[in-house]
Amino acid sequence: MTVHDMKHAASDSARLEAVGGRLSRVDGPAKITGKAHYAFEQQLEGLTHAVLVSATIAAGKVIGIDTRAAETAPGVLAVLTPDTIMVLKGASDWLGNPPAQPTYNPLAREVTFSGQHIAAVVAETFEQAVAAAALVKVSYDETPAIVDLSDGTDGIPIEAMTKEWGNAEAAFAAAPVRVCAAYNTPREFQAAMEPHGLIARWQGDELTIWEPSQWVDGMARTYAEWFGVPFENVRLVSPYIGGGFGSKALALAHSAVAAAAAKMLGRPVKLVLNRPQNFTSYGGRAATRQTVAIGADKAGRIQSIVHRGVNETAVDGMWVEPLGSVTAIMYATPNFSSKQNVVRVNTVVPGAKRAPGENPSAFGIECAIDELAYELGIDPLEMRLINYAEQDPQVKKPWSTRQLREAFAAGAEAFGWAKRSPAPHSMRDGRQLVGWGVAAGTYPVRRAYGEAMVKILADGSVEVESSSIDMGQGTYTILAQTAAETLGVPVEQVTVKLGDSLLARAGVTGGSRLAGVMTGAVYKAASQALDELVGLALSDPRSPFHGLQANTLAVKDGRIASPRGEGPELSIAELMGMLGRERIEAKGDTVPAGFTPEQRYNNYTTIAMALPHTEGDYSRHSWCAHFVEVRVDEDFGTVRVSRVVSALDSGRLYNPKLAESQWKGGIIMGIGQALLEEGIVDRRHGRIVNGNFADYMLPTNADIPDIQTISVGIPDPHSSALGGKGVGELGIVGVAPAIANAVFHATGKRVRDLPITLEKLI
Amino acid sequence: MRDFSYLRADSVEAARNAAALPGAMLLAGGTTLVDLAKCGVAEPSTVIDVSHIEGLNAIDVNSDRAIIGALAKMSHVADHAAVKSQFPAVSEALWQAASAQLRNMATIGGNLMQRTRCPYFRDPANFPACNKRAPGSGCSAIGGITRGHAVLGTSEACIATYPGDLAIALVAFDAEVDLGERRLKIEDFFLAPGATAEQEHDIRPGEIITAIEIPGSAAARRSTYLKVRDRQSYEFAAASAAIGLELEADGRTIRDIRVALGGVATKPWRARSVEDALKGKALDEASVRKASELAMEGAVDHGANHYKIALAPRVIARAILKLGETA
Amino acid sequence: MTSQTHAGQTIIDPPEDGQFRNGQATNGSTPSPTTLSLHLTINGQTHALEVEPRVTLLDALRERLHLTGTKKGCDQGQCGACTVHVDGERVLACLTLAAQVEGRSVTTIEGLAGEDGTLNAVQAAFLEQDAFQCGYCTPGQIMSAVACIREGHAGSDEEIREYMAGNLCRCGAYPHIVAAVRQAAQELRS
Ligand SMILES: Cc1cc2nc3c(=O)[nH]c(=O)nc-3n(C[C@H](O)[C@H](O)[C@H](O)COP(=O)(O)OP(=O)(O)OC[C@H]3O[C@@H](n4cnc5c(N)ncnc54)[C@H](O)[C@@H]3O)c2cc1C
Ligand code: SF4
Ligand code: FES
Ligand code: FES
Repeated sequence: MTVHDMKHAASDSARLEAVGGRLSRVDGPAKITGKAHYAFEQQLEGLTHAVLVSATIAAGKVIGIDTRAAETAPGVLAVLTPDTIMVLKGASDWLGNPPAQPTYNPLAREVTFSGQHIAAVVAETFEQAVAAAALVKVSYDETPAIVDLSDGTDGIPIEAMTKEWGNAEAAFAAAPVRVCAAYNTPREFQAAMEPHGLIARWQGDELTIWEPSQWVDGMARTYAEWFGVPFENVRLVSPYIGGGFGSKALALAHSAVAAAAAKMLGRPVKLVLNRPQNFTSYGGRAATRQTVAIGADKAGRIQSIVHRGVNETAVDGMWVEPLGSVTAIMYATPNFSSKQNVVRVNTVVPGAKRAPGENPSAFGIECAIDELAYELGIDPLEMRLINYAEQDPQVKKPWSTRQLREAFAAGAEAFGWAKRSPAPHSMRDGRQLVGWGVAAGTYPVRRAYGEAMVKILADGSVEVESSSIDMGQGTYTILAQTAAETLGVPVEQVTVKLGDSLLARAGVTGGSRLAGVMTGAVYKAASQALDELVGLALSDPRSPFHGLQANTLAVKDGRIASPRGEGPELSIAELMGMLGRERIEAKGDTVPAGFTPEQRYNNYTTIAMALPHTEGDYSRHSWCAHFVEVRVDEDFGTVRVSRVVSALDSGRLYNPKLAESQWKGGIIMGIGQALLEEGIVDRRHGRIVNGNFADYMLPTNADIPDIQTISVGIPDPHSSALGGKGVGELGIVGVAPAIANAVFHATGKRVRDLPITLEKLI
Repeated sequence: MRDFSYLRADSVEAARNAAALPGAMLLAGGTTLVDLAKCGVAEPSTVIDVSHIEGLNAIDVNSDRAIIGALAKMSHVADHAAVKSQFPAVSEALWQAASAQLRNMATIGGNLMQRTRCPYFRDPANFPACNKRAPGSGCSAIGGITRGHAVLGTSEACIATYPGDLAIALVAFDAEVDLGERRLKIEDFFLAPGATAEQEHDIRPGEIITAIEIPGSAAARRSTYLKVRDRQSYEFAAASAAIGLELEADGRTIRDIRVALGGVATKPWRARSVEDALKGKALDEASVRKASELAMEGAVDHGANHYKIALAPRVIARAILKLGETA
Repeated sequence: MTSQTHAGQTIIDPPEDGQFRNGQATNGSTPSPTTLSLHLTINGQTHALEVEPRVTLLDALRERLHLTGTKKGCDQGQCGACTVHVDGERVLACLTLAAQVEGRSVTTIEGLAGEDGTLNAVQAAFLEQDAFQCGYCTPGQIMSAVACIREGHAGSDEEIREYMAGNLCRCGAYPHIVAAVRQAAQELRS
């Protein structure tokens, strides 16, 4: 539960507090002073520490676990193995599908990936647990592993991914100009700075979990099902999240181990994955391969796109990274075909990383169209405008809003695109080859239903409560702004409480949906609370407004008066005092009327109820265009990004200051993806050898230039109650192809395998 | 990390005695030792904290030589005005190493003793075979992921790259390491793996580095350190070069040149063949590039590190050309 | 042989036979691990604690002293989230043993603002420039930035980027961090 002091946050300037104002983060003061306690930083009496023992082979059987040395090591309370850990019940998946198996053992006897959890040691101190875990000796019967995409067969076709119209193959064959190439992206990781971990505590049948979570209700459901307790018995607390990027939405095997250990020991257990385990205990972005074939006429008009994609998935789990998602909608084409397979390899199940699907998909199509542009000698920006899709080419519905043309124009202008020298390898600065590249990006508007509680208290302050979370996107701040504006109170009077499954319910924070969902819910709840306040003020005999002819009252700056200025003007606190009210509270939601409790439960604890972005009359997406300058050292092949200008259409921005931060964050993650990031697997062991922050390289401050972002969005009434579209994932989509295109422009070399490291250019 | 006892030494003598204990290891900045203890690579039974010994952190520089105490911090040496003017390559090698925080912790003595970043070496739980860690157990890197591994000075036992930056500049300028009883040329202090990969330094139990001494020279004064890597900062070198240059009065004939290589060899690598080929010659791009190729004589790659054979000479050449331009 | 205890810490002057137990001779040839009684000065306050020698400063702060503002991102010196000041210089708490800093003065993010809550110029600039999102790297960034300015390494944007490169931020707040450090450096100079 988190309360924020708004003193510092609100001091910027006037109108900040309104929706759309550049209010500084309201959770900022806590974060910059070290006072923000993240989930597993809670201090509990009797806390114990658990450390996992992970598989050192990628495939095979555990044939023996020698725990004797560990059991007698100082401070050790328990050594859990697949044989000694309590057996849990199977839990339904995130779509709400019932469990495939009736029971679940989070420690493995059958190993399907390197790093899988085999045992756990619980001790009094962290140091003791680490030392004892190193004493657990596991013996294996190892079998050959399937290591990566190249080992497998063609894989398993995923029919649901097939998208086809016209006759793509024939049209491609007949096209006068054709390009066709393969584009690969490696295994990539979310690599949030806060590791995964949790504290679990049982009190009788009640379980409290402090765990960073993008989805407290969904994870609470999983725990409840694992342990066979009612949903209400599980409280999941996640006040701040040190970055998730898609990785923190589900309760995972290590979560189950900690909760089981706490139950077995009768003491709270803290378990935090060490950094290498953060590369093997949950899935990053699956490695992908795509071929994109584009046929066009001599004027550059696309006649056909043929797309084939494959991504890796796990031996015992399914992950589909939708590779045709951008391919199918970015450009107008009369003929189209996209199909996708998955290949099972010995890895932990891949997962969601910022813009799953759209990100690698854009890498394929946005590089391919660039190749077509050079093939035809047409400016790559012009090429994109020639093939601009005026409506959704796939579902043939109009866009709700699509400010992509505006994005191209604004970005090109700010970047100075017109000054570009068209030929590859034609711009240099000393020994640096200079290249300019452009690419577009998009992300669908994901919508769902949410609820929020708004309370007006006796002192005139306002509380907003929701089980949604803030992992840096700014939920605390924009919900405070929404409530302040709706109620007409200064934002300093608003307190936002998030990240607790006891609070009003919210679905998953993923797919950039939260802001749209929750601003709508808070708007509704606040409006209801305001209606109630005004209603009482007009009807209650104790109110000075009683008997006034007005049929409404207005609240501004926390003061309430009749809109025509007749009668008194009071602060909310004064009015509450006269009314003798401790509080007025209203729960507002955007859930359709007539939803059953069961449907509501499913709405918050599964993703099955989310609304398709093409539902109804429109196709809803956010859009962007990235313009990038790179410098490639002609001797060393090192690539540095020296300039980025991005123009983005996220619809209406609830807080531009925070939205810009998220866009830039996405762009920077895209720079890492383009140039640095790759999970490198030792083929003999099926193991990531660079699972740490020295060898899996994230960009540093020194790798990042100043970045200019331009908002070209307009309010989109079809996408959300207040007109916003998605922000968080959009920024990354299209960055890697823009950089690859710039590298081609600089060097004349087309690198189609990410990351673009120096040996590929030398 | 296994438990150990902690002793604080307040004199070099005390540290020497304590260091002779079986299982004892010195702790200076701790950035290698604590890291490797967490990885399970170092398992000291006793840690001797030498970081509080007074008087071992002096930095004494004049035009004839620099004497740098073993406990001097990397950051302090990097920012030292006289080091910057008399030995620019040393300062540059230091500030481009690690991060500002690590450089505030790490000492010059500890820096010379840092261990390889070979990922197999650093992960004993998953890769038991490593001759450097467990002599005779084999080498997990050969046949595995070798992108960062050495192409020079390798053996069948080990192909691990020497990761440091400072020592590259030190070998270029004939620095010596002071072990109290003994003084060694830096070049001899570091050992190539041969059949004894576990032996990286010529240092005996109970010996302590007290200082390094770098002779001054015109080449040291006109010197630079060029570090090439995937990431702009906070990363070890893919290839690096420490170069010192002295020109004749004509401003183009090379009188003295020093060439040392990092990131590509199993120890700090002096490239004398490049020096010999250029001494007495005019400094021009074509001959510099040609001579730089000589550094790769005898280079052997293991697949993914092949690029280093092309990269390293270019790094040497660019560093020489850069020095030539700043006449 | 002399063995003295200074501020709760054993300083050694070893016996001829080289046998100790944290400063005291034993019959064994190597000293065996024991718990140390440490007195650490953190944010101007002295804290007494009993820890094993292997406990790092980071775990002492987070797990024993409940000062969780200092973050653990990697525990391997590879991210900068654990940056604190020791005797005014920025260092990594994850690679520092708690025992090492006895007798030195440690400052953490909790000790940066004034007693009355007045924010340090760097903290205020971080808020104003929105130099963070999730906030997990932020205490380390701020401690690093304060030292960066003090060291004189905030002279240009390029220098700030290089000297702040030891603090990773996965949310990608870098351009705003540079702006905040630039702003704070200017304020502190004037
Ligand atoms: C993430 C990371 C990135 C890094 N990047 C770089 C880089 O880019 N370039 C680079 O050059 N280095 C880099 N380093 C390595 C760093 O420079 C070394 O760890 C550091 O210099 C070691 O010094 P220390 O004082 O901390 O040594 P310690 O860890 O205290 O000691 C290291 C070893 O030396 C021994 N020792 C210490 N002092 C003495 C002495 N006086 N006499 C004899 N033996 C002694 C110790 O017993 C121990 O075995 C990096 C390290 C990390 C963790
Ligand atoms: S290269 Fe050397 S350090 Fe690396 S695994 Fe082989 S023997 Fe060990
Ligand atoms: S936690 Fe210390 S550097 Fe990452
Ligand atoms: S603010 Fe999230 S990692 Fe930097």
